[in-house]
Amino acid sequence: MTTLVKTNRLKPQGSRFNPLSWLVIALFLLIMVFPFLWILITSFKPGSEIYGRDTAFRILAINPTLSNYETVLQKGILSSVKNSMIVSSITTAYVVLVASMSAYILARFTFKGKRLLMGLILGISMFPQMIIVGPVFNLYYNLKALNSYWVTLAYSTITLPSAVWIMVAHFKRIPLSIEEAARIDGCNLWQMLWKVIFPIAAPGVFTTAIMTFIAAWNEYLLTLTLNSDKAYHTVPVAINALRTQFTILWGEITAATVIVIIPTLIIVLLFQKQIVSGITSGAVKE
Amino acid sequence: MPKRITWRQFLFVLPLLLLVSVFSLYPIFTSGVYSFFDYQTNDQTRNALYTEGHLNAPLFHEDGTYLNFYLKKDLSLVDETGQQTIAALQQDILEAISPYAEAKQPLALSGEGAKQVTAFVANIRQRVKDLENAYPDVELNISKSADSLLDEMDSTVVGSNFIGLEGYKRLGQDGRFFSALRNTLVFTIISVFFELLIGMGLALVMNRAVRGIGLVRTVSLIPWAIPTAVSALIWTYLYDGTSGIVARLFTQLGLIASPELLLTSASGTMAAAIIADVWKTTPYMALLLLAGLQVIDHGLYESASVDGAGPVRTFIRITLPLLKPSLLVALLFRTLDAFRVYDLIAVLTKGTPETLSIYAYKVMVGQGNYGYGAVIVLAMFVCVGLIALLYVKVLGAELINE
Amino acid sequence: MKKLIALLLVAVLALGSMAALAAEPTVIKFAAQGDSTPATQAVIDAYNASQSAYKVEWVDMTNDSGAMREQLITTLKAGSSDYDVLSLDVVWAGEFAAAGYIQPLDMLMDEAGLKAEDYNAGSMASGAYSGKQYVMPFFPDLGMLFFRSDVVSAEDAAKLVSGDYTWADLQAMAEKYMGQGDTKDGFAFQSALYEGLVCNANEFTANWKDLKGGLEAMKAMIDSKATADNIMTYTEGETHNSFIKGESVFARNWPYMWGMIKSEGTIKPNQVGIAPLPGGSTVGGWLLAINKNSKNTEGAFDFIKYLNSEPGQIVMSQAYLPGYNAMLTNEEVVKNNELLSMEGFQNALKTTIARPVSAEYSKVSDALQQAIHAYLSGTGTVDDAVKAIETALAQ
Repeated sequence: MTTLVKTNRLKPQGSRFNPLSWLVIALFLLIMVFPFLWILITSFKPGSEIYGRDTAFRILAINPTLSNYETVLQKGILSSVKNSMIVSSITTAYVVLVASMSAYILARFTFKGKRLLMGLILGISMFPQMIIVGPVFNLYYNLKALNSYWVTLAYSTITLPSAVWIMVAHFKRIPLSIEEAARIDGCNLWQMLWKVIFPIAAPGVFTTAIMTFIAAWNEYLLTLTLNSDKAYHTVPVAINALRTQFTILWGEITAATVIVIIPTLIIVLLFQKQIVSGITSGAVKE
Repeated sequence: MPKRITWRQFLFVLPLLLLVSVFSLYPIFTSGVYSFFDYQTNDQTRNALYTEGHLNAPLFHEDGTYLNFYLKKDLSLVDETGQQTIAALQQDILEAISPYAEAKQPLALSGEGAKQVTAFVANIRQRVKDLENAYPDVELNISKSADSLLDEMDSTVVGSNFIGLEGYKRLGQDGRFFSALRNTLVFTIISVFFELLIGMGLALVMNRAVRGIGLVRTVSLIPWAIPTAVSALIWTYLYDGTSGIVARLFTQLGLIASPELLLTSASGTMAAAIIADVWKTTPYMALLLLAGLQVIDHGLYESASVDGAGPVRTFIRITLPLLKPSLLVALLFRTLDAFRVYDLIAVLTKGTPETLSIYAYKVMVGQGNYGYGAVIVLAMFVCVGLIALLYVKVLGAELINE
Repeated sequence: MKKLIALLLVAVLALGSMAALAAEPTVIKFAAQGDSTPATQAVIDAYNASQSAYKVEWVDMTNDSGAMREQLITTLKAGSSDYDVLSLDVVWAGEFAAAGYIQPLDMLMDEAGLKAEDYNAGSMASGAYSGKQYVMPFFPDLGMLFFRSDVVSAEDAAKLVSGDYTWADLQAMAEKYMGQGDTKDGFAFQSALYEGLVCNANEFTANWKDLKGGLEAMKAMIDSKATADNIMTYTEGETHNSFIKGESVFARNWPYMWGMIKSEGTIKPNQVGIAPLPGGSTVGGWLLAINKNSKNTEGAFDFIKYLNSEPGQIVMSQAYLPGYNAMLTNEEVVKNNELLSMEGFQNALKTTIARPVSAEYSKVSDALQQAIHAYLSGTGTVDDAVKAIETALAQ
């Protein structure tokens, strides 16, 4: 596993850092942040300024307005945030449970077909999601599960593989001796996972939860096809439904974007360490 | 550590197996089945998998009802003989359709049954024609619609829509598929190339910086963390021909001839999609590579600098080989992510450049053609397998380490 | 005894009416596109006020017709009864009928004493499939030329209104008049990559008869200085934004823009003239149909009937053309819709042309859009485009 903090402490090299590098970093930060800034700026402009040939590129609105926010709130953009919360929470809860159970077995036992199973999980994380759209639509139609929160189960294809992957990496790092001591105390498999492994692997579990939550939050295709009803639209689908053909109301769309980005921003600010650990745990070998 | 598992341990893996089976294996298997059928949801004669004959009973009943509806209007237009003819017709139609009055689904139909239905329709057709001939001067209501109604009745006898490998044959001759494949490859190769190049540069720079790295990391995570569909919409605005600031900037820099080209021309949309993708995923790549860089023992660099190796030499001799395992895995995942790109292009330009995912979606959801759509996604599936194989066998990426 | 019966009758009536008052009206869900005019909401309100058995609720679909079609198909494919009345683009009706998503209306119309020939022929025809009538008009639409009568000379205006001009003439006029009367562009029309491109190309090519000449005229128009630099991103929205703000002299658009000029235009209706288009006017507009799985067929049809009746049409006429032919000369409708009193508009009504009719329209349209766009954006030759269009139309 990566040990960002440890290696940094080994040899601080800040002294050799040159101004050119700082310039590169500053430019990078500017490019990363600029689209968000521009969206924020536009969201306060009235329509006449957004479309006006002379006013479209002004940094500050001449007549700043909150009307874009009022309109999108009226149009119920918050209900899509609520849906995203519900869908992502359900997904996170069951994916963490299922992934930790199987990851424990995969990390601690060898059995026939284990490599096959690992390969399968890996394969699923690679395959084109488009493949499940048709069959799962028909399945949900037959089970009368369209336009419901059952969509969360279908999210397992995009969240479960990486969840298992991260968990296995974390579980493997727990020394076996701890379990052996627990086994002498008479712990069964279930108790072993919940009372012994889980607490020790808590950071890993948490990382998995955050990664799963973000992946579910960002899902677009499955909600678009399985939940065509507006009442179940999540953020990515709902915000695109604001597009219209006769007029693209950028004021409303930018205001809605600002609103729906806030939850993501909070998550990134609070949990960036866990996210970085989650991103890198699949790719970096110990 | 090597322990065999019993049913107890198996129970722990079971939920995973169930989810994987239902949401991954089953769809792949089902797509395989669909691909052998001419299965189109927007066509009543092909909207399910028929391995044997069927009768579209609800439609058969509706058409019969319509025939009688028009015949009833004609009762007052003809003399008594005609009325008797019409009444007999009505009676026969009613008898034929009444068993299906409550039918909601197509019903299985034997070959014999199919012949009977066809014969019945032919019989009615002839009798309607006779009726028309008997009253050449009367404008009968039935005349206007009988032909199309009877044609439709004929079409309610649905044969098997199993087509075997026809779908795959069609794929081989489908120019649009190959152009989508080419677009997908161009998009994938260029965007992953730039993500790697810029990402590597950033990672090297960040690896040296100690102060401020927290800020850089936080900012990098934001584009990665927001939904692709949302970031694509942001870029749609930035690229907009009238109000888009990036489109205007590019025009002023002379990169494009006029601002609308980014979202309208073929090369413009490709560039637009690549830039948006690079913006969103380069930071992610940089973080991955940074993590790889940071586990490299600094002692190695020191001995290199003692040996008098320059930075380029150090990079090629030490950094790159040590980074290779994580680099390849990161590249593989990015390549496959880019290869199946859907959200970004669907939102940014509503489908140009047309990549494989976009084409598959248009065929499946837009045209309701699940059969051929399955052929396209299976072809994508094969491509993904080939790419993974390329990384593992040729480049030596290590995916599963025990 | 008589008194007793009378009393009983009164009691029954009273109870009945109380029950009727207490009974909640059946809700009819009307899936229709967003409306930039107040007409749709107004006609729903008028219907709900006109009777108490049903209450129509507008399910506001996305305004992007391609996305709306996918949304409807996904819902209907699943056999949903969520929507009762559907608003359909004229080009979808064949497909929806063929797929068995909507139900035929002949028997309901017959019962209600409605005759198909009394309604807009083009609209009715686009929903006649396999000997059955699946739709009634919501509102018919047609493409037409809007021009600034305060900028264009009387002589040129007369020529336009008569329809006796070519696309090249229009381009010359656009180049000549642009900049006058505070305008910036000469001509605004729809050439973005979407369905509108098919409608416009239909008009440029005179209903696909003069493919090469029409496409070349279209490209010349796009390349000329008379059109905005970003004309190839123009949909109806960009077009009306430009015209109603007085930024262009000519615009090709649908009648709805007349309503916008009146309600929010920088320019006033008396500055605007209407003319037919050189190659004919593409018929568009929307249709009403009933979901095959609707649980409220009667209520759904009652609403459709109201929309196509005199009171309904009068409300709709504040923004749309009547689909009920008798209303074309109705005093109030004509008063609401000055277009009907204009010679140029009546001429446009006479030269309407249809888009290709197909049960797989989306496929045909898709192929047409790709072919036309490739040529217009400069990535393909005109001959390639002509060939591709011919193939697509032959399907």
